[in-house]
Amino acid sequence: MKNKSQKNLEKTISKRFFLLSIFKGVVVGSIGWRFFDLQMIENRKYEKLSDNNQFNFHMIPPERGRILDRKMRLLAGNMDGFSLVLKWNKNVNVDDVIKRILTIVNINQKDLNNFYEEIKSNKKSFAEEILITKKLSQKDVSKLAVRSIEFPEVSFLMTKKRVYPQGIIAGHITGYVGPYSEKDSDIKIKPNTAWLEVGKTGLEQFFDKDLRGKFGRKRNEVTSKGHIIASQIYENTIAGNDIQTSLDMGLQAFAIERFERGNNTLISLKNDNIKKQIKKTKNINFDGTDYLYKDKKNRIVNPQSGSLIVMDIENGEILCSVSSPGYDPNIFSNDLDINAWNNLKNNSRSPLLNRSMSGVYPPGSTIKMAVALAALEHGIIDYNTKFYCNGLKEIGSSSFHCWAKDGHGKLNLMEAIEQSCDVYFYELGLKIGIDKIALMMKKLGLGQSYDVEINSKSKGVVPNIKWKLKRDGLQWSMGETLNASIGQGYLLTTPLQLTTMVSRIANGNFSITPTLIMNKNQNRFDLLKINSQHLDFVKKSMEKVVTGINGTARKYKIGSKKIEMAGKTGTVQVVRISEAEREKGLIKNEDRPWKKRDHALFVGYAPASKPKYAITVVVEHGGSGSSVAAPIARDIFKYIFKV
Amino acid sequence: MNYKLNKFSEKSFGSIFFSKLSKLNLFIIMSVILLGFVGVVSLYSAAGGHWDPWAKNHLIRLILGIFLMLILAFLPHDIFFKLSVMSFVIGMLSLILVKFIGTGDVQRWITLGGFNFQPSEVMKLALILILGRYFDHISRIELDKLKTYILPLILIILPGFLVISQPDLGTGLTIILLGLAILFFVGISMKFVITCFILLASSVPFIWNQLYDYQKDRILVFLNPEIDSLGSGYQIIQSKIAIGSGGFFGKGYLLGSQSRLNYLPEKHTDFIFTLISEELGFLGSIFIILIFCVLIISIMKISFRVKSLFSKIVTFGIGFLLFLYLSLNIGMVCGLLPVVGAPLPLISYGGTSMLTVLIGLGIVSSINIHDKEIL
Repeated sequence: MKNKSQKNLEKTISKRFFLLSIFKGVVVGSIGWRFFDLQMIENRKYEKLSDNNQFNFHMIPPERGRILDRKMRLLAGNMDGFSLVLKWNKNVNVDDVIKRILTIVNINQKDLNNFYEEIKSNKKSFAEEILITKKLSQKDVSKLAVRSIEFPEVSFLMTKKRVYPQGIIAGHITGYVGPYSEKDSDIKIKPNTAWLEVGKTGLEQFFDKDLRGKFGRKRNEVTSKGHIIASQIYENTIAGNDIQTSLDMGLQAFAIERFERGNNTLISLKNDNIKKQIKKTKNINFDGTDYLYKDKKNRIVNPQSGSLIVMDIENGEILCSVSSPGYDPNIFSNDLDINAWNNLKNNSRSPLLNRSMSGVYPPGSTIKMAVALAALEHGIIDYNTKFYCNGLKEIGSSSFHCWAKDGHGKLNLMEAIEQSCDVYFYELGLKIGIDKIALMMKKLGLGQSYDVEINSKSKGVVPNIKWKLKRDGLQWSMGETLNASIGQGYLLTTPLQLTTMVSRIANGNFSITPTLIMNKNQNRFDLLKINSQHLDFVKKSMEKVVTGINGTARKYKIGSKKIEMAGKTGTVQVVRISEAEREKGLIKNEDRPWKKRDHALFVGYAPASKPKYAITVVVEHGGSGSSVAAPIARDIFKYIFKV
Repeated sequence: MNYKLNKFSEKSFGSIFFSKLSKLNLFIIMSVILLGFVGVVSLYSAAGGHWDPWAKNHLIRLILGIFLMLILAFLPHDIFFKLSVMSFVIGMLSLILVKFIGTGDVQRWITLGGFNFQPSEVMKLALILILGRYFDHISRIELDKLKTYILPLILIILPGFLVISQPDLGTGLTIILLGLAILFFVGISMKFVITCFILLASSVPFIWNQLYDYQKDRILVFLNPEIDSLGSGYQIIQSKIAIGSGGFFGKGYLLGSQSRLNYLPEKHTDFIFTLISEELGFLGSIFIILIFCVLIISIMKISFRVKSLFSKIVTFGIGFLLFLYLSLNIGMVCGLLPVVGAPLPLISYGGTSMLTVLIGLGIVSSINIHDKEIL
């Protein structure tokens, strides 16, 4: 009995022993599988998570490439600057630290906002170096350094600061850099974007990728408490490329000075009488300048605004591109204070607008060469075709005036260009029709944007029948053809387009396109495909404008035996003149309010005998092209050819 | 029989010692030394490559513990039979005592002459011994009757709940699971087991209410660690990251970033295995689990071989205890089980669990040597 139960017991125990062993095996097996799953199958995922714990990554900004002029003079470079960095971790009381820092140095609000945004977006809650400001002056650094014991949480970093030695002179061309924001969409750089500066306008924007170089990478090893225990650079920075522009800063500086003066005289602000006078004068911006201008009637006036471009007619290189008023890009690298920015933004003369590339103006009489060429190319007239100008052309009930009230009498094409007779071109326009004129204008480079290295550029408007139908749903009227024939009405051009037009005429063979970069075009242009005899005729006419006894710019000959310029003046009416006003007699330009004065234009090239450079001068509300724009062009050529 | 006894008594102390020594189970000794060594090495790494504060102490404890184990191994195993009741009574008393004079945030330890001593650990062994003695004394026929199991159940549940109320859910559950496994082992009827299971399952809401908030948290977080990735779930998440990022070969000894940069909680005690997994990878983890398996299988083989019921139950119990330690700890660190606070014996820093395991293995060795001689 006992033996039997003993055997039973042993049997039971063996059975249970076996069952429990299976249980244990299953448990150990599932643990083993779990480890296999974690360590072999999902290894990658956990490795990444572990790296995220262990390291935080930083971008090291590369040194931005320089922008140079054609003689290697510096337009944009880098200067040593100091950055203030917060060694952030969970335990740092950010508000308190910033509050204490602000009692010692000033940090601009924009930087602070960016800083707080960065703090907020730092979801990892692990330690990181967060930029407070890049714009610390040497003085601020020493102020803070003395009390560095009080601020164990912050440190200084040597960084580069963008600097524009030419200042306001080339502001529109270089543009400026600013902190990266989501808007700069084509750039995709993730962490620590506060360190990234991107070009916002001008060449800085256009060549941003080349100039920027390649970011280096640094990783910090961070403990769970947020202490950085090691730091390692594992990807070196690659400095950005330099950009050599075709600009000549000597010419540019001269041109700006000359352009802004116009026909006015320079006065010093140091004179007390002048100071009193300034106080009485409204709408004058004299912040930060120590000289101003006085016009012929002794009124204090602003510098002229508008645009001046000089371009090489052989390779399309722009030597000089003035847009006035301008701005100093350095203010964006320093503490850009809100007031300065608002001044720039709200200034009625829009200093931020690059007038050369994106300012649009009716071209006025400067367009007449295009109309003449259209007529000649289509065989509508020959060189001797004459029209009679009595100062007026009537179409239906409306009358179209010539600028000469009493008319020019009977004259041929060359004389019409020389004297800028409007009636002659009304007759031409009527004969050719707007579509053919538009075609020629486009051939000469109007109504289109080139791949010049500035992002914001305007296409202007070259109207034709289709264009109007599409825009307004209206038929093109005869009167509109007349307006277009003398460069008014719908027609709008940028100074750059006008320069291109003149370059193509002066070149004669190629469809020159403009560029701001040295040796870029390498003279590879399409053929212009305009009869060269016709071109020579038009060029001869342009010479006559300057040299002819009746030429509209005859007063402003260079007067050198070797070098003379050729060109065409243009005076653009800004306000419509009613018949009643015309009867009463016109108010003189300089007596009208500035905004209602005519635009003064001059396009031309020199030397007339063997063209080399084309020029466009657009003086906004400057008066007449012949008296305001032409002398500026002459002086520029005098400077270039040293005569 | 007489002849044998005579011959035995004639033997000198030396020859007895050597004959006992030759009967020592080498697998057990080697596994213990190996695991203890792994513990020292891991604790050295946990301290960032320093002997202090853990590795040195661990080594000293290990050496002393192995000595104690060998001494116990050479004692005749009927001593444990005789001591079983007393040890259980002392265990119970100290568990009650710890309620009143316990030290630490939670009342788990009694400080005795400079030693922090955790009665709940010793209780595990006492429970095994007393259950062994009880079933050995019970008439073998009565093992089939249910009432036979009433006293053992009380013996299990009483200390179990005392420990859980300390509160120490991990150890308490270990005690209960251990006891139940022994009951199952000696042949409690399947019907009863299933009934118990249903009862237990239906009492879950009641037990849930009895749990402390932090215990509830742990279980909730175990079910979904992401609900609190920086709070209680942090341990599990970081532990899984450490294990997972170890890969096949590991990040290299002393190079575990998770542990070195303090992302690992409790890396020298409950989460020591995570550190090993991170630094030595899948290979190292499996190797250590295999050593444990060798140890447990060796104990189970002894249990299978020995004749007396007491010896069988005690060896099985100690083997199962080791298994529970292993699976609770490793299951916890890899996220299979909630974080209940269970050390990995011989490797985790902490004297009591090492002492418990080494005493247990001493008893197993003693049984292995002496079982066929007396009883």
